[in-house]
Amino acid sequence: MVSPFKIFSFVMYPFIVGSLITGCVSYRVIKAVEGRSVPNISAEFRVGTTTLQEALQTLGAPDQVAELEGKDLLIYQQSILANSGLAFGIPLADIWGPSFNFSAYGELVRYDLVFLSFTPDGILREIASEKGSRYPYLKTILSEMQQ
Amino acid sequence: MKRFREPLFVLLLVFFLQSCAGWAKNMDYHPFDASELDKLTPGKSTVAQVTEMLGAPSNIVKLSNGNAYIYRRSLSKGTGIWLLIVSFGNYDKHYDQIVIFFDKKNIMTHYGITLDAHKAAYGLPF
Repeated sequence: MVSPFKIFSFVMYPFIVGSLITGCVSYRVIKAVEGRSVPNISAEFRVGTTTLQEALQTLGAPDQVAELEGKDLLIYQQSILANSGLAFGIPLADIWGPSFNFSAYGELVRYDLVFLSFTPDGILREIASEKGSRYPYLKTILSEMQQ
Repeated sequence: MKRFREPLFVLLLVFFLQSCAGWAKNMDYHPFDASELDKLTPGKSTVAQVTEMLGAPSNIVKLSNGNAYIYRRSLSKGTGIWLLIVSFGNYDKHYDQIVIFFDKKNIMTHYGITLDAHKAAYGLPF
């Protein structure tokens, strides 16, 4: 017959160890991607010659459409959110009172963007792009924002 | 090796007892049928014909030489995994979009289409 103390240990040890560990250290990683990847178009599109029709055939429907001072703007964008956090502490608040806790959290949203501006006749007038996803998470979030 | 067996078993039991996973799916649905676009002709089709086929747009934007009618729907999928002290979350959102351009006489001039919502996927954040 199995000793009740052995059964007790199998039930209680995991509970106690688990409760203590989960109270002490935690680490999380979250990623959220919205939209499709934005292609590199610098080689294909030419200011003054590329038409609205060609842009729509190549890139599909834009994510944003707007009119600005007589120009029609198409914006294609993908956002990539990365979030991570590390927490370390001893959960003594209930039995001891003060307890210590160290934590560090960070969230970084990067954008891949293509901006196209067309004349009312549908000819490309301006082009701009940004590839935010090429910046590595840790290096970017630990760097200081440039003025 | 034998003396490590019990602590290892306890740790593994803890690992599985305190782990869980979850999945979520969100849909922002508009019932337009993109295959209907083949029946439309740039330079001929009107706003009335487009809205009869595709329904009411999600948004209308005024442009320099007319308007753009925007049809949009999205599908997002989320995954969450908690493994004792480590947790992972992943959220993926994609869109089906049709943007139809009309001139000042409400005649369709161009359109752009992206059908990407089906690419939303469950997964891990790396």
